[in-house]
Amino acid sequence: MSNWLPKSAAGRRWLGLAPSYFVIGIFMLVPMVIMGVFSFLEPNPYGGVKPVGSLDAYVKLFFEYDLEDNLVFNPGYLNIILRSFQLSFGATLLCLIFGFPVAYFITLQPENRRNLYIYLITIPFWTNLLIRTFAWIIILGRGGVIETPLLWAGIIEDSLRMMYTDGAIAIGLTYSYLPLMVLPIYASLEKLDFRLLEAASDLYANRFEVMTKVVIPLCKPGIIAGCILVFIPCIGAFIAPNLLGGGKKLMLGSLVQFQFASARNWPFGSALSMLLLSAVVVVLIFYARAAKKREAMEGTA
Amino acid sequence: MTAAIDIRGVTKIYNPGSNQPVKALDDVSLTINDNEFFTLLGPSGCGKTTLLRLIAGFEQVSGGEIMLFDDEIENLEPNRRPVNTVFQHYALFPHMTVAQNVAFGLERLKKPRPEIKATVERVLSLVKMKHLADRRPNQLSGGQQQRVALARALAPSPKVLLLDEPLSALDLKLRQAMREELKQLQKETGITFVFVTHDQEEALAMSDRIAVMSEGEVQQIGGPTDIYEHPLNRFVADFIGDTNFLDGEIVDLNEDLVTCRIGEQSMFEAENSGGHRVGDRVTLFLRPEKIRLSTPDDAVSTESRPGTVANIVYLGNQAAYTVDMGDGVELTAQARPREDGKLPFAVGDSLAVGFSARALRVLAQ
Repeated sequence: MSNWLPKSAAGRRWLGLAPSYFVIGIFMLVPMVIMGVFSFLEPNPYGGVKPVGSLDAYVKLFFEYDLEDNLVFNPGYLNIILRSFQLSFGATLLCLIFGFPVAYFITLQPENRRNLYIYLITIPFWTNLLIRTFAWIIILGRGGVIETPLLWAGIIEDSLRMMYTDGAIAIGLTYSYLPLMVLPIYASLEKLDFRLLEAASDLYANRFEVMTKVVIPLCKPGIIAGCILVFIPCIGAFIAPNLLGGGKKLMLGSLVQFQFASARNWPFGSALSMLLLSAVVVVLIFYARAAKKREAMEGTA
Repeated sequence: MTAAIDIRGVTKIYNPGSNQPVKALDDVSLTINDNEFFTLLGPSGCGKTTLLRLIAGFEQVSGGEIMLFDDEIENLEPNRRPVNTVFQHYALFPHMTVAQNVAFGLERLKKPRPEIKATVERVLSLVKMKHLADRRPNQLSGGQQQRVALARALAPSPKVLLLDEPLSALDLKLRQAMREELKQLQKETGITFVFVTHDQEEALAMSDRIAVMSEGEVQQIGGPTDIYEHPLNRFVADFIGDTNFLDGEIVDLNEDLVTCRIGEQSMFEAENSGGHRVGDRVTLFLRPEKIRLSTPDDAVSTESRPGTVANIVYLGNQAAYTVDMGDGVELTAQARPREDGKLPFAVGDSLAVGFSARALRVLAQ
């Protein structure tokens, strides 16, 4: 054995893992640290930051200066954050409502056909999200695929004004992230022992009770994973809000994007990102706690 | 005697209309009496589990009808049939405790809470699992899971309990202990048990009546002794226990006995079960334990014939002897080891092989 290798097993293990640490460090930790540092600096009006410490970015999240330079509470950004959570929550719920039956349907198919369906589910990922979201403008918009036939048939007399609404954003988000809901639910449903369904119906459970008492509790991990996978990108999304919400109804993601691209306020954008990050971390901690509790309750096999 | 389950001309075809339809049951008719321990016995693929699943409602019949206490149940979903199943692999709900598993059926039936609690306790103590009520299924051994599955199926007091090879996953000792317990449980509860197994010993030990099945058809229905001592055909005789088969031709018969020629010129007499004629090709069968082996000098019976030990299989409490009777006829017989543990005969020894004509029976071809 070459003598430059570490002597202890622990040392050698560390060396083996070094490439992973390196990649995670460079591509995840460093950008995050930069973002954290930037959020405590002053903005440079021409983009970038001035190396002057400041808490202004965080103050700006909740307060603004009135004409007499007094700090007053400003709920504007807070409202956007709240709206983001609401819309993301709605989109996650829609994904769950549409995604669960799809995953269940795939599980019921013969084994050789399941892979084909999973493959089909992933097809949308082959095209750019931006283009796919644009397609929804054609579907929802004035003179679009939905409106035109309805107008022509005389069912409606005026435009439905579906574009540039919260509904349009929710639809766009649901469409974008539906596969991320279907896949983990499918993964946990696939492991489900279908004899348990027979056992439940044998014990007088009707179809609804079989679902609520057996299927859903047993694929809870998949449902939770799916919800997290959908909720997190939703809250940071900016393509659907910008295109389908018309950029007027901002979400957190579009607000961050706006700070970096147009408003040239990098520290404020960073501060918003840090807030977003902390919110996500809090959600994940709750999830981890719940998972641990469940494991402890169900014992080890 | 009331009929608990009346199966009338039931046929089940899987994948009908496809290019590979599978006929699992072919015009099966049988009646299971109330308060009976009834066993469906047969090799795998004989249709016994299919029949059980039809009764439970997991499958739909392709033809015929199933009556449960004189009610047509064909159009009822499984959750509307007053029968419960003990599944082969238990199918306990892993996310529920033992008590929750047992309470499941009672809760679905909307029983009042105090009643559910009392029933769960009663049934769990019936299967000696009360002390583990708060455990989860994956914290239990196979035998314990088996008991919980039993308790769960018994808790709603079904009219019929269906058991799908419930002991097959247990080890031998446990299986034997559970046999007695199951039989005891059936007597105590008075519930009709329909038990599916491929294990003939299990069937003989527990059942009031047995239906032997093969290739989707019922071969014979009867009590354990009937099935063992008076099998109707070669399949039943072969499937239950060890048997000697002798193929031959009837050369003479009177009211009591038929005389058959086996091989070139060996003559065997057997009980006349009626309906035979001289010249019929028949199979005689003779259980190994009905054959007495002795040394030629000790032979007491006038019915004994000479033979030579061709092979011995030692089984501990006994040994299986293959005896060459000459004329191409071989018989399998049993002998117990002597008190010092030695076997009474060795390969090549000459023997007197004794059996009475009453032990030999004629099987339908």
